Amino acid sequence: MNAAPPAIGAFERLQRRAFRTPLDGLVTLVFVALLAGLAWQAIDWGVLRAVWRAEDVALCREAASGACWSIIDARHRLILFGLYPFDEHWRSTSAAVAIIATVVLSCIPWFWTTRRLVSLWIAGFATYYLLMDGSLLGMAQVTTDKWGGLSLVLFLFSTVVLIGMPTGLGLALMRRSRLPVLRLVASLLIDFIRSLPLLTTLFTAAVVVPILLPDWLQGDKIWRIIIAFSLFFACYQAEVFRGGFQAIPSGQFEAGMALGLGKWQALGLIILPQVFRHALPATINMVVVTFKETAVVIIIGLFDLLASAQAAFGTGDWVAYYMETYIFVALIYWAFITSLGRYGEFVKDRMKQDEH
Amino acid sequence: MTMKRGWIAAAVAAAGLSGIGTLAFAESTTLKTVQDRGTLLCSGHNGSYFGFVEVNDKNEWKGLDIDLCRALTVAILGDPDKNQIVPLSWAQRFPALQSGDVDVVIKATGWTMGRDTELGLQFSIPYFFGGAQLMVRKELGISTASELGGGTVCVAAGTTIERIVADHLKAENVEHTMVSFEKTAEVIGAYKAGRCDAYAAWGPSIAVLLANQFEDADSHVILADKLSAEPIAAAMRQGDEDWVDIVNWMLAALIKAEELGVTSSNVDEMVANPPNPTVARLLGVDAGMGERLGLRDTWAREMIAAMGNFAEIYDRNLGEGSPYKLERGLNNLWSNGGVLYTPILD
Repeated sequence: MNAAPPAIGAFERLQRRAFRTPLDGLVTLVFVALLAGLAWQAIDWGVLRAVWRAEDVALCREAASGACWSIIDARHRLILFGLYPFDEHWRSTSAAVAIIATVVLSCIPWFWTTRRLVSLWIAGFATYYLLMDGSLLGMAQVTTDKWGGLSLVLFLFSTVVLIGMPTGLGLALMRRSRLPVLRLVASLLIDFIRSLPLLTTLFTAAVVVPILLPDWLQGDKIWRIIIAFSLFFACYQAEVFRGGFQAIPSGQFEAGMALGLGKWQALGLIILPQVFRHALPATINMVVVTFKETAVVIIIGLFDLLASAQAAFGTGDWVAYYMETYIFVALIYWAFITSLGRYGEFVKDRMKQDEH
Repeated sequence: MTMKRGWIAAAVAAAGLSGIGTLAFAESTTLKTVQDRGTLLCSGHNGSYFGFVEVNDKNEWKGLDIDLCRALTVAILGDPDKNQIVPLSWAQRFPALQSGDVDVVIKATGWTMGRDTELGLQFSIPYFFGGAQLMVRKELGISTASELGGGTVCVAAGTTIERIVADHLKAENVEHTMVSFEKTAEVIGAYKAGRCDAYAAWGPSIAVLLANQFEDADSHVILADKLSAEPIAAAMRQGDEDWVDIVNWMLAALIKAEELGVTSSNVDEMVANPPNPTVARLLGVDAGMGERLGLRDTWAREMIAAMGNFAEIYDRNLGEGSPYKLERGLNNLWSNGGVLYTPILD
């Protein structure tokens, strides 16, 4: 339909779109029926016939019962907090809230100045760390090996993006530098890291590095992982930024210089804002992928959301209800990733406005 | 057991450093390190492993292997809580041991020649025996693996089980098709859906699954033939014999206590009034138990008081006191038809 349709009612529009010919109508009906059938199955299993409370777990065994959400009722604290001590869970909750708040706040345009963003993130991370570790606030210390579940995933994700984003920009700039040494170093690093699977990189950081380095230089496993993960992120992000740079004609830079701007001024005022705009869709993509890839840390023994979910059903009483646990975890991931995607759309729209 | 050998080999060999890791620890004894640190570092799991390493509703570790770690902690440091359980994947357990992230790996780990030699490990006396077994539907009317001719076997990919089953069936000249899946849950799903005639896995795991994940448990049967007997033992770094002695005698004392009828509830009476000289020595009434290992004379007494003897630990985690209700079978004392025995306590 090329011409703009005249104002028509919803019913008419539906008729045109879905029932234009008898075959169209048939296809529509068949697919609607299929979808409705699937949706009914899901609701019937997940809601209508479901068992909700931990005390009612005996009902789950009956053939007529659907989903057994009792496992979530009984084990959700394990799924969300991993091995974090039971009595201190409020700290883990508050820490996770602090991180989420930091991410949400930094999505608000008012915060988009370097000083505000930096202070916001420092405050957010300090809150997280002080609460989770606790020793500096005079509470019982909880060492990083006990951190887990959703709070750990959020922490890993936000630190990796936070460290990786500027590093990636730095690498991209180095790769475009006129100094051959910088260019070579950046290219070698980026190509080397990108040729390795994430799993290998993390495994090396977790397992091989301690064999190589003396004790005092090793640091906590979690920090080794974060550094390796950030480097991995940075190398991919650098290529994303490079794409952004290449979309900008070199004449713009020269024009900036001609107006009397310094090199860095031209970069910061003219080039980078456009680079960010061009790189945005791919960046959002990277961020979403990184959020999901945090699950890889399970293999080097961090108790992330997926590991704690597996621990939740990995005991005789609950082993039958792995499906419910995975659905619960999937919903958590879905909630976060949808929000990230929505935010990406919002920023894109906003940048479009700026263009006009 | 269910580990991907390739990763370890890659991690350790690619770095080519397992030797260096071992050398670095040959100097200082592990016992001294643990005592100075005041904490024993044990292996946990990245998730739960039925009955051996699990996490309870209070976010605390439990299980047979965890209890053995706690027993070892009592023996060395006098308090079952003075340990740190480091979550490790199957693939990561040996590199973690070599790099000093843990002092001992007690994690349903089979004693194999490759691990004993190439990976530079030492194993304790076995504390558990489990092997690959097959489960089939009763309606097939099969009673041994050799009757599986023309059938399909479902198995988890990348485990020792896969090879063991293939070798066994080949040796018996049984024609079969092997279908492997990445996750245990997928294997079970395929078996339930009738995609395969038999499900092959570690015996104890099958029993656990059958008891808990099958509505029609009665219509399935676990074939009696054990395709392998995998001795499960604690793993330690090569080159610290004193440390191996301590772990060995920790296990031996738990088994000996069961043999002698010493339990967590009667240990105090036994100390007050030892029925025979062996009990007196075990419980440190007569001197000698501690000094030989560099521990307190009363270490076994405290350990049994805190954790119970081997039977109590087994029942709590795998036997009657657990959801699994796993029979002792091979894992009973030699005098009760099993294969567990201890060296002589002289």
